Amino acid sequence: MEIIIIFSSILIATVACLFSKHRVIIESVSIVASLVAFIETMIVAFKVASTGTCVSYQIFFVDALGTIVMLIIALVGLASTIYSVQYLRDETAKGIVGFTRVKQYFILLNLFLAAMFMAVVSSNPVFTWISVEATTLSTAFIISFYNKPSAMEAAWKYLIINSIGLLLGFFGTLLYFTSLPGTGEAGLITWNSLLSNAAHFNPSIIKIAFIFILIGYGTKVGLVPMHTWLPDAHSKAPAPISALLSGVLLNVALVVVLRFKEITDAVVVQSFSQHLLIVFGFLSIVVAALINFTQKNYKRLLAYHSIENMGIAALGFGFGGLGVLMAILHMIYHAVVKSALFLSSGTILLKYGSSKIIKVKGVLTALPITSILFLAGFFIITGTPPFGMFLTKLLILSVGIKAYPVVSIASLFFAAMLFVAFFEHATAMVFGEKPAEIETGEGSIWLVIPPLALVAVVVCLSFYIPPFLLTLINQAALHN
Amino acid sequence: MTLFFATIVLLHIVKKKSVLAVIYGIQSFAIVLLLMCSSLHTGAVSLLLIALLVLVVKVILAPLFITRLIKKHNMKFLVGTYANTPLTLIIVAVFVAIAHSKAFLPLVDIIPANRELLSLVLSALFISLFLLVNRKGALSQIIGVLSLENSIVAFGLLAGLEQTPALQIGIIFNLSVWIVIATIFISMIYKHFGSLDVTEMTHLKD
Repeated sequence: MEIIIIFSSILIATVACLFSKHRVIIESVSIVASLVAFIETMIVAFKVASTGTCVSYQIFFVDALGTIVMLIIALVGLASTIYSVQYLRDETAKGIVGFTRVKQYFILLNLFLAAMFMAVVSSNPVFTWISVEATTLSTAFIISFYNKPSAMEAAWKYLIINSIGLLLGFFGTLLYFTSLPGTGEAGLITWNSLLSNAAHFNPSIIKIAFIFILIGYGTKVGLVPMHTWLPDAHSKAPAPISALLSGVLLNVALVVVLRFKEITDAVVVQSFSQHLLIVFGFLSIVVAALINFTQKNYKRLLAYHSIENMGIAALGFGFGGLGVLMAILHMIYHAVVKSALFLSSGTILLKYGSSKIIKVKGVLTALPITSILFLAGFFIITGTPPFGMFLTKLLILSVGIKAYPVVSIASLFFAAMLFVAFFEHATAMVFGEKPAEIETGEGSIWLVIPPLALVAVVVCLSFYIPPFLLTLINQAALHN
Repeated sequence: MTLFFATIVLLHIVKKKSVLAVIYGIQSFAIVLLLMCSSLHTGAVSLLLIALLVLVVKVILAPLFITRLIKKHNMKFLVGTYANTPLTLIIVAVFVAIAHSKAFLPLVDIIPANRELLSLVLSALFISLFLLVNRKGALSQIIGVLSLENSIVAFGLLAGLEQTPALQIGIIFNLSVWIVIATIFISMIYKHFGSLDVTEMTHLKD
């Protein structure tokens, strides 16, 4: 029932946005819908933590991992929607966007959230695929939101690369159906039916299928070398959308990969999928670290950092054991703090009117609270102690040090490189003398509260994980 | 299936944009025929309905959309390719050989009676991917994605992996939305860049 309420509220908000001619109504219904989604997701989380799963009408199925990602979607979705209201008001005041654009934005934002929820809660792998593809379709226009040639180019790249990736993912999905009786007319194939039929699968086909899945959905996760769309799309989209793309969408796609991994592991030796994840994860860390040194744009800097963090999560799932538990925690921390960083970057962009690092100086003076949030986010995301991501990175790499010492040590080295690169850029932006034409002081409080709340959540989670969430993480780790 | 395969090879060779849309229509018609054969073979009426839907969306509407777009912007000839025609054909032959190699034997043996056909469709899948890489035009990239989707559908049909009618309708609906969005983007790209040559999109360098 909760899942139905989530979709109903978002879809009602979408329709209301479509027909409303008043900006306040569009903003209000979108916030209410995301708030309802958040409350209902919390109810689902408590239910799954106590019973293990939550099933509605056979077409919806939520397990522990799905619930964790639902929580991420709901939390970041709520923060991004609230932030979007003031962000777009400021952009309208500057003459960057008009009412029609704002209307389109909220319609697409709501559809994007609905598609992400659907991808996670769908019990059928093909429907999951349709939902993930829907996330591409709903966001392509928001990436080209500013109607500039660079935004258009980024959106086109995003559309084409992700469509190719997802088609390969679809091909991989179909291959998992080869050993099931009566795929056409017999009824809906669910994740559970695939898992329970694992004994009948042909291991050779499943191996090829998983490679297609990893390449296909891995494109959406942003794993190297399929990552090329990510920095462009994340840097050109409006800041709240970048937060959702980077903090949430990557995790949604990763969950799909992990669901197929669970099935694959039941058919072929676990090391097959683990080795693949380690290779792609390690490549992602290396490439992100090397490229970040030469970054000139702070939104791209954050985007490349997402590639590195997805790489670390992939390493954790690849190493297995405690690594899986830490990888799930890493996904949560990264999602929340990266969203906070993107929202802060949006405020900086509004103030300075440029996303180039060289043009942003003295943020500490110009935007005191935002700069502190940005710095806090930087320390958290780079794995500085005592924050949670320090623990997750350290434990993931220490789990792998016995079996894969070269990968672990090299990953540590490149993660350290990334810290240096990020530190250099972040300090250059935060400190120094602000340009004379930039006024001092934060804008609206509604540009501060959402990132502040997200940073507060991740700091709290670094020291205390609520029992229901801990149960969900443990349950999710058991299956992966 | 020979017709289906031939259309994919042709997509690599043609120079006129309007021909590209027609070839895609013919390729999709081959899928309609395949769906109808499958329906007759299995006796599933729902497959006939899906065939009708595919006919409307892929054989009629999609080529019509693309042709209107070409006429609207007065685009006649395709942007070039990275590899010239002889080299393109050699690479196509290599992909056919790869699809027939031992590495993909488990896939083409899903239904042993259809081994040759599945090999051919697998080749088509690889060649569609190559089309996406080789062509410099945004319009060709759209056709490449659609052709890739057709190849996967053909593989699914020949390997007996048809989905429930509801899901198939969902997939076709998804594709329809994709076509609409992609063609809108084509118009916007043409407006911004004055060309559909993706190599001229260089605003993301920094």
